[in-house]
Parts: sequence; structure tokens; C-alpha cells
Amino acid sequence: MKLNSLKKMALAAALSVAAFGATAKAETLDIGVLLPSPIADVGWSHALVEGFNTVKEKYGDKVNFNVVENIQEGPDADRIMNKMVGDGNKFLLLGSFGYMNGGLKLAQRNPDLSFIHASGYKTAKNFSPFTAKYFEGAYLMGMAAAELTKTKKLGVVSAFAIPELISTINGFTLGARSIDPEITVDVIWINSWFDPAKAQASAKALIAQGADILFSNAQDTPSVVSVGEEEGAYVFNLNSSMKEYAPTKYLGVVKTDWAPFFTASVEAHMAGNFDGKNEWLGMKENVVVSEDWNSDISPEMMAKIKAVEAEIASGARHVYDGPIFNQAGEEVVAAGSRLEDGAILGIDWHVQGINSPLPK
Amino acid sequence: MTPIEFFLAGTMSAATVFLLAALGELVAEKSGMLNLGVEGMMAVAAAVGFVVTYQTGNHFLGFAIAGIAGILVSLVFAVVSITFLANQVATGLAVGILGLGLSALIGKQHESLTITPPGTLNIPILSDIPFIGPVFFQQNIVVYLTILLAIAISFCLNKTRLGLAIRAAGENPKAAEALSYRVKMIRYGSVAFGGLLAGFAGAYASTIYTPLWADGMIAGRGWIAVALVVFGTWKTGRIFLGAYLFGMVSLGELVAQSLGIGIPSQLLSAMPFIVTIIVLAVISSNGARLKLHAPYALGETYDGSEPR
Repeated sequence: MKLNSLKKMALAAALSVAAFGATAKAETLDIGVLLPSPIADVGWSHALVEGFNTVKEKYGDKVNFNVVENIQEGPDADRIMNKMVGDGNKFLLLGSFGYMNGGLKLAQRNPDLSFIHASGYKTAKNFSPFTAKYFEGAYLMGMAAAELTKTKKLGVVSAFAIPELISTINGFTLGARSIDPEITVDVIWINSWFDPAKAQASAKALIAQGADILFSNAQDTPSVVSVGEEEGAYVFNLNSSMKEYAPTKYLGVVKTDWAPFFTASVEAHMAGNFDGKNEWLGMKENVVVSEDWNSDISPEMMAKIKAVEAEIASGARHVYDGPIFNQAGEEVVAAGSRLEDGAILGIDWHVQGINSPLPK
Repeated sequence: MTPIEFFLAGTMSAATVFLLAALGELVAEKSGMLNLGVEGMMAVAAAVGFVVTYQTGNHFLGFAIAGIAGILVSLVFAVVSITFLANQVATGLAVGILGLGLSALIGKQHESLTITPPGTLNIPILSDIPFIGPVFFQQNIVVYLTILLAIAISFCLNKTRLGLAIRAAGENPKAAEALSYRVKMIRYGSVAFGGLLAGFAGAYASTIYTPLWADGMIAGRGWIAVALVVFGTWKTGRIFLGAYLFGMVSLGELVAQSLGIGIPSQLLSAMPFIVTIIVLAVISSNGARLKLHAPYALGETYDGSEPR
């Protein structure tokens, strides 16, 4: 009796899966989304979710999102990606740097699928890495920080020493020193995308060290931001606004709006002309947006920031315009020239003004 | 606060998480129960403690209910391994993994939210002494209570009848049973006490040390607590020192970086674990010394069916 009912259940389940598969094939595009951290009201995963919510609004029933959150980079992620493909997802959004190699292999095995991958650098015909030019926004934050700092010491709590994060810290430093060349920057690498306790202790260590402006670099939780409010240090972060966690001390946010890029990619896939390339998006594409500025920033400085912002967006100015010196004081980019895109994407050196050695 | 003050004061705060959990595990192990689910118990309690504190604004209540949550998770382990005689290692690991998943579920609606931490103790005169004040006398009250607790546990284990009963259950359950101690009850109680302290450790982590909830925030601290018990060769005083050493190492990494000391940060991040391995290797190199302190029946299931 028991066995019978079990069999029935299994049969029913199989049928429903088959039926679902059939309808799915006819109508909707199944999009698989793999996220490295839990979806919250703020942070990296939240920004990605916001991005594909816009896609959902645009296409309605034509797209169906299958989201798996909080997946550690590594074998587990590869297994889940494979399962997603097996389940019939035709478009995959891979939300973290460490999904790169597994995702690329999968893309090569399944040429009819399209992949977009966050933060990576490898490409294939159907595999586009996408990165935000956070350094553009961080440059503006640096300018604001230079006005508000009293100790002339800025502190950065940062996840891993990968080019994306290094270039952002450099941008922040360049921006600050464009206003006040005496400013120095200290960096603590916590070597984790996710350890709020360590992030908070790092923020406090930086404050004890004399920093009065904090930059929460790629920290998904408000750990650093809330320390800023508690200890009275201005603080900014990336991806999505955390103003509510630091109502008086929030310097601003370097927000990412992925909606335009996601929509274009899904559209290209549907039209059958998805073309994998390195998508490196900034102010010009309206992907990097700086907002929620603190009212303590003077109107004069705000005007200056807006002017620089317009110049960067138009391409008249670039964060990595020379002259730029490295930590050893050697000139890396000469006056009048500009650091090439490839060199920024693979950057492994800090600019002058950053005290902390870069872990190699 | 100067960097050195921050370092020393932060050490006390960081060490409290390790010490609370390790003391609980010590008592459980003394009774012969090897509970490897500390990480999971801490995670569940951290989530529960945070949710309760967030909703009620009452830190004390959050702490108390987190302690109860810790006990409940530890009882799952106790029922399976004491009553149903399952292997302790396997059960502990399973309960630990269960706890991690459960904590994500409990905390789902509160992901990435923050609460205001409770104030620190302010002792007149003492707190105002330069250097000494900020380091030793401006901590959260839990930091001091944990130190008192360590002393109390040491006393209880070594000088009282209850402590003797717990140790007997861990050294030779049959003999203990022959002396009419109820070994299973003692083990239940010890495991539950371990759960209570792991619960407090979790609540301390999510409501005082880092006043926010994020899935995975315990980040291996429960495992360090388990290692600390071996590290301290089942002696309260050494576990206490070990916890403070670990607090110091985990914080020293960040301070060294902020001071711009040129040690690769990856190496520094691995330090607490490297230290654990080295110390364990040193301790284990002398097998006799290790055996002298380890509860003799640690990890052995006791079915209690032997004739008295």
C-alpha cells in the first residue's frame, strides 16, 4: 500500500515536471541566477536582483527567473550551474568572480546558451563578463572625503586583492589627492567576501589608527557602515545605498544599476545575436551612479564633484589620466597620457598615497 | 583610543566569543560527550538572539532566548547520541550542519539588518584611568561575566561533587554508574549546558560583538572553540589563555595591516588556524600528556545496559 502511494507520487511528480518542461519550452525563457551571498535589502546581490527585476517587468511572462542565493564559489557552484543548465535554463547570470572557470567550461559545452558573469575577465562567444567601473564613482567619493577629513587619513576595509577592488581603492585615493595631496590611505584586506565581525573590527582598527573616513569596499553587509555612524567617521560603500545605517555619517553611495545591461543582454539572446565580450560599464552607460551625498559636503565641493562627474561621463576626463605615481614613487603614467583599459583591468599595484603594502 | 589600546580592548571582546563557546564544550567533553556541532548551535542562537533583540529592543531577552535556542539544538544531539546511541562525531557534524541551515532560515527576514549595541560598563574612577581604563574597564558586562564563569566552572569541575560526577561520567561511565550516578542524565545536563553557553556565544557575536545578522556570520568561530578545548588540554585556565591568544591573533592581523606592517594579509588571515595546527601538533607529540588530561571515555557511546 505504502509502496503504491509512493509510486503514484513519483509518477505524478514526473508527469508534472514533463508538463512544466513542455510549456516552458514553448513560451518562456528560463534564466538561471547564481548569487554568492543571501539576498538582503542592501548589497551586491540586492543590486543584481534589482537589475533583473527590471528585466522581469519588461518581459513579464516571457521570462522566468530561477534564483539560487548564497552559493560558495568552488565545486558546489559548478554543480549547481550544471544542474541549472540541466533544468533547462537557457540564459545564466553568474553573480561572482569565482564562478568564472566553471561557468566558462559550461558555456563552451553549451554553445546555444548565453552567460553573463560578474567581475571576471575571460570571454567566449556566449560568455560575457561584466564589471562596473567603480573607480569612477570612488574618485568622486575621494574628492568629498578630502574636504571632510580632519586627520588626512582615510581607511579602506576591503575583501580580496583582485584588480576590480584595487582599481577602486586607487580611484578613491587619486580623487582624494586631487584635492589634497597630503592625504594618505590605509587598507585592511580581510580576505573574505563575507565576515561581518572581521569587517567591523577592521573598521575600528582603522579609526584607532586615526582614519576619519571609511570606505567599505565590496562588503555586502552594513558592517563597516554602521561602525562609521557609531564612531563618528564618514563612510561610503558600493552597489546599493546604506544610508539608513548611517543617517548622519553617510558620505554617499557608488551605486550600480545593472538594469540597462541585463535588459540588453536578454534581448540579444532572444534575438539570437548574443555576442560575448568584456562588458566594462561606468558612468557613461549610467551603470555607475553616485548619489545620496552627505549634506556636510560644501556646495562648492559639490559643484566641483558634479563637474568632474560630467567630464568623466563624457570621456573628456579619465580617472587614470597621468601623471600617476606608484607606491614607490615611480611615474607609471606620464602626464598627458592615460592608462590603457587592459592595464586597469589587470591592475596589481597601488598608487602613491596608499600606505598599506598590496598582498601579492 | 590609540591603536595599542584598541588592540588590547578588542582582544578582550573578540576572546569572549571563543571563551564562552569553549567553556560550554569543555563541560560537555568532560562528561564524555564530544559535540562537534558548536558552530551550528552558535549560528542558530545568533540568529534567534538577533531576531528577538531586533523585535523587542531588549538585549537581555535576546540573550536569554538565544541560550534556550542553544540548549534546544544541543538536545537534538543529546537525544540522538545518548538515547539512541548514535556515533557522537557523526551526530555532532550533522547537527552542526543542520544548525547552519536552520540559522539561515530563522534569520532570512532580518538579513543584513543592524541593531544598536548595548552600552559598555562605565565604572567610576577605574574607567577613567588612562590606558588601563579603556582597555580593561570599558567592556561590555558579558566580557566580565564570562571571566567569572570560567572561574566558577573551574571550581565546579575540580572541587565539587557535581564536578566529580561529570568527570566520572567522562572517565569511566560504568564505574560512575556503579557508584549510582546516573550517567545518561549527567551527560544530558552537560550537553545542554554546552548548548546554553554556545547559545550565549552566538548571541554575543550577533548582538554585542557585531550587532548585525548576516547568514554565515559565525564564520568558523565555533570550530575554533572546539579546537580550543583540545588546545587547552581540557583545563579551564589554559582554555582561558588560549581564547585570549586567539582573540589577539585574530585582531592582531587587522591591526598589523592598518599599521602597514608588510606581512602578506593572506598569511595573517590564516594565522588563527595555523596556530591551532601547530599547537595541536605540539600537544599531540606527547601522547601520554594528552591522554592524562583527555576524558578517558570521550566520544564513546554509553548504552548503560551493563549490570550494575
